Amino acid sequence: MYNLLQRLSGVMSFAVSVLMALMVLIAVTTPLIPSSPTHSVALHSVKTTAGRQMDPFDRTSRAAEHARLTFDVDADLSSMFNWNTKMLFAYIAAEYSAPGFETNKVVVWDRIIRNRRQAKLRLRRHHNKYALRNFALTFEGVEAANLTLYINPVPYLGLMYDRPMYSIPLTLPRAPAGAAKAAS
Amino acid sequence: MELLAQAKKYGARSLLLQGLTFISVLTSAFMIWKGLSLFTNSESPVVVVLSGSMEPAYHRGDILFLHNGYSPIEVGEVVVYKLDDKPIPIVHRVMKVHTESATGKQFLLTKGDNNNADDRGLYNPGQLWIQREEIIGRVKGFVPYAGMGTIWMNDYPQLKMGLLGALCVMSLFSND
Repeated sequence: MYNLLQRLSGVMSFAVSVLMALMVLIAVTTPLIPSSPTHSVALHSVKTTAGRQMDPFDRTSRAAEHARLTFDVDADLSSMFNWNTKMLFAYIAAEYSAPGFETNKVVVWDRIIRNRRQAKLRLRRHHNKYALRNFALTFEGVEAANLTLYINPVPYLGLMYDRPMYSIPLTLPRAPAGAAKAAS
Repeated sequence: MELLAQAKKYGARSLLLQGLTFISVLTSAFMIWKGLSLFTNSESPVVVVLSGSMEPAYHRGDILFLHNGYSPIEVGEVVVYKLDDKPIPIVHRVMKVHTESATGKQFLLTKGDNNNADDRGLYNPGQLWIQREEIIGRVKGFVPYAGMGTIWMNDYPQLKMGLLGALCVMSLFSND
C-alpha cells in the first residue's frame, strides 16, 4: 500500500517532469515564431571634439577625441512581441577597424522596449547616449566604419537566441584630425 | 540504542549498500556538473542572478544557463564575469569591444541595463577594461525565479540548516 508521503512525492515528481518538458518545448519553439519588423537609421552629422572630461574613471578621456552623432531612427518592432517576449533590447553600435585593432564595436545608443506601444520608434535628431571614442586617443586611421541597429529579444523563459541583426550599415565619416589637436 | 538495533536487523551488508548508493548519487551529480563545465568551457555553467542591475531582463532569483566557448565576445551579449579580487560574479551586458589585431586580446567594457553608468566603478581600482579570461560565460538561456530557493537559503542560514536536518532525520527513519 502507498502512504500519503509516497503519493505526494509521486505527484510532485510527475508535475516537475511535465513542467520541464513544457519548458523545453517553449524554449525550442519561441525562436520559430515569425515577425516582420521595419527599421531604418539615418545619420545627419558627426562632430568630433576633444579636450573635455567625459569619463570620471578614465584619465585619458580628457585628451581623447569624442564623436557626437546626430541620427534618426524609424522602426516598428511591435511584431516582434509574442506571448514569450519580455522585452526587446534595441541598440545601435558603431563598428570600425583602426590601426592595431581590427575590430572595434562601441554601443552608442540603447533602449529597453517593454511593450508593443513602446516598440514604435520615431527618434528625430537623437545624439549618442554613450561616449564614442577610439581605444587610441584619436580617430586617426579609422576605416570601414558603420552604424548598425541590433535587436536583442529577451523571452520570459527560454533561450537567448541569436538576435536578428537588422543592420543598416552607414558610413561614419572620419574625424577632422586637425580640429582635435587644436582643441587640446 | 534503537538505531543500533535497527542496524543489527538490516546487517552490515545492506548498510554498506545504502552507503554506496548515497556516494554514487553524489559522485554522479558532481560528474555531470564537471562534464557540463568542460563542455561549456565555463567554471560555473549555471548561475543564479543575485542583483537587480539587469532588470527588467533578469530579476533576482532567475537561473541563467551559460556557455563560454572559445570565440571572441561580441557587443550586446550578456556575459557573466568574475574579477580576481571580488568573489561574486556579475551579470552585465557588453557595451564596448576593442580587439587587438596582433594578439587577439579583447578589451571589454560592460554595463548593467538598469544602471546609469558603466561598470568602471565596479572594476578593480584603476582598471578600465575587462579581459576575455575574466568572463565565465555568455547567457544562453534562462528560467525565471527558479533559483529563489538558493537566495532564501543564502539570506536565512537557519532555513538551510533546518532543511539539511530534516533530510538527515528523514533518511534515518525511512525504511526503504
